[in-house]
Amino acid sequence: MTPGSALFIVSAVLCLAGAVTTVVSRSPVRAAMGLLGTILGIALLFLKLRAEFLSAIQLIVYAGAVVVLFVFVIMLLGTDAGSEPESEARSKIAPPLAGGMFLAFATALFGLLGGAIKTPTAFTVPSPDHGTIEAVGTEMFQNTLVPFELTTALLIVAVVGAIAVGRGRQGQKPNQRVIKNPQDFYVGPVMERDNVSQPEPKESV
Amino acid sequence: MIDLFIALSPLLTVGFGGLLLMLAEALGKPANNTGMSPDGAVVVDAGAGRSEELGLLATVILFSGAASSMGVWLADPATLGVELVSPWLQVDRYSLFFSFILCISGGLCTLLGGGYLEEHKIDRGEFFTLVVFSTVGAIALGFAGDLLTVFVALETMSLGVYCMIGLRRSSPRAGEAALKYFLLGSFAAAIMMFGAALLYAATGHTDLAGIGAFVGGLGGEASGETAMVIVGMLLMLIGMAFKISAVPFHMWAPDAYEGAPTPTTSFMAAAVKTAAFAVLLRILLIAFGDPRLMSWGAGWPPVMACLSVLSMTIANVIAGRQSSVKRMLAYSSISHAGYLLMGVCAAMRLPEEASASVMFYLAGYCISTIGAFGALILCGSRGKEAVSYADLAGIGRRHPAAAAAFALFVISLAGMPPTAGFFGKLYVFRATIDAELYSLAIIGLLNSIVGAYYYMKVLVFMYMREPIPGAPIAIPMRSSMVVSALIIAAALVVAIGVLPGALLEMAAVAAAALS
Repeated sequence: MTPGSALFIVSAVLCLAGAVTTVVSRSPVRAAMGLLGTILGIALLFLKLRAEFLSAIQLIVYAGAVVVLFVFVIMLLGTDAGSEPESEARSKIAPPLAGGMFLAFATALFGLLGGAIKTPTAFTVPSPDHGTIEAVGTEMFQNTLVPFELTTALLIVAVVGAIAVGRGRQGQKPNQRVIKNPQDFYVGPVMERDNVSQPEPKESV
Repeated sequence: MIDLFIALSPLLTVGFGGLLLMLAEALGKPANNTGMSPDGAVVVDAGAGRSEELGLLATVILFSGAASSMGVWLADPATLGVELVSPWLQVDRYSLFFSFILCISGGLCTLLGGGYLEEHKIDRGEFFTLVVFSTVGAIALGFAGDLLTVFVALETMSLGVYCMIGLRRSSPRAGEAALKYFLLGSFAAAIMMFGAALLYAATGHTDLAGIGAFVGGLGGEASGETAMVIVGMLLMLIGMAFKISAVPFHMWAPDAYEGAPTPTTSFMAAAVKTAAFAVLLRILLIAFGDPRLMSWGAGWPPVMACLSVLSMTIANVIAGRQSSVKRMLAYSSISHAGYLLMGVCAAMRLPEEASASVMFYLAGYCISTIGAFGALILCGSRGKEAVSYADLAGIGRRHPAAAAAFALFVISLAGMPPTAGFFGKLYVFRATIDAELYSLAIIGLLNSIVGAYYYMKVLVFMYMREPIPGAPIAIPMRSSMVVSALIIAAALVVAIGVLPGALLEMAAVAAAALS
């Protein structure tokens, strides 16, 4: 076994173990850590492919920003947010059925691809500057400029959609908080200095 | 260079129009000058109370997108230097035909939204921006000639729709619908991505023409590449079957359609499905257009035929048993996906005739289904959406105009003359029979008879039933925007139904550009 294939096996196992942890674990923190494992594994896979720049970006953006954001949200909501008591009415057949279908599918996939894995497509040997910042930049802003520009629409939709979904509940008269004086903007414990006109603090939303 | 911008003008018009819409929303006159609503509450909502003007602006933007598609069509895109953006975006008459349909559908949906959102107290400006940018994604999906642009465009379109479903935050059902569609849709996108990766690994190409050329040169013997191409193709097809909501990948559709605000539902049923069919046909005919992959023994036709038969039969059987009209229309849109897949199947032997028939069907189906949902919107009013058959009882006597519009669109969906739906069905069946797929055509015919049952049920309730005494009666809303959307849709349905030749000729020209 060459060091390269050892690195591949380690990173692949890390990816898969992380992915399984993310899906299976009941604690959100553990799931986030599983995701972190997957991301690290993918960064290692990029290294193996000599895409050092992508590997660094993967670590900075995903491990550095996305997972941290997840952990922040978990901290804000509390670690037990979203976990609900085991429901009694859970189907007895569905999990084994889904698992069986997945196994059948995976077997068929690997059976079909067995021959292909032995004779992989011969790609052209990458140039020496493959994976450098310059090469990635040329690829992104010159060769694939059109899809890159198209992602602007994707990002706008994501931002506008986040606002549309994330903004407060509207059209719900009974529970709607109508803010009549600026003091009510404060959620949380009302300080002595805020407490000018209204004696009792509002209950938090 | 300027030629290229002209060629891309459908995409650019709608995209920059969307930016303009956002500016108009942010900088336009607020609902009132003080920033306080009449009851003294602070208004922190830029688009609130202005859904009519924003909806009108969005409609104008989308209709001008349709007009520019027509302009580029007439100017002949091949002379406009479009090879500069190829293979990422293929500007040909095929994609222009779809961008025209998509812009018209989007424009009708924003018209419906302008009336609906205000009536149902969710007048939020974001809705229109989301429709416009989702349409940008849908148009780009029609243009896409490379797996990379296919994925980016598909995500742009879907992301907007997920958020449009969840717009009504107060309704748990809308939340459920949005989450269900989001999870299953992302899963489908991941499956499709896996297929794309396998295709790239096997062929070394991401552009559809390159994949097609490689697959064509593979030769007959079973090799590793052939296996990878077939698995990759199947995974891609699964991803697209999710988007067109073909059985057995339809589980999300009824819940998502029912939980979403009705203008969103009509956008999903029309634009999303049309764009998915545009890319499905292009991928099947360009990337997998090899004679062996198009054969009945070793290619995609049997897969498409199975999906088609399942979609038609199962959706029709379930649709007949619904008590909610909105849910019935959701199942009806699944069954229409089945009829369309029948046409896709026929493309194995007659690529041009069958694609032209599918494109014609899509045009008629989009307008009819938006009209049917729009008529459903019109029949309900504040606080009470008309969703069940019982709500429609006696509408024909109390509000003949609304009922007449509903009846026209339902007749078109059922495929009866003289409407657009009739000729759509006629051409798809003719293509299927010409392609010698007789059993498929017979199953389709039987299904359209079953389908007529539940469409007629709407007419029976509207014209021959009276509401149960004491039951709350749905009062139709008053909105000039919804009414104008219905008038435009009805005019188009009748126009296509009376003079189908012109549109069919356009579809044939467009289909010829594909191959």
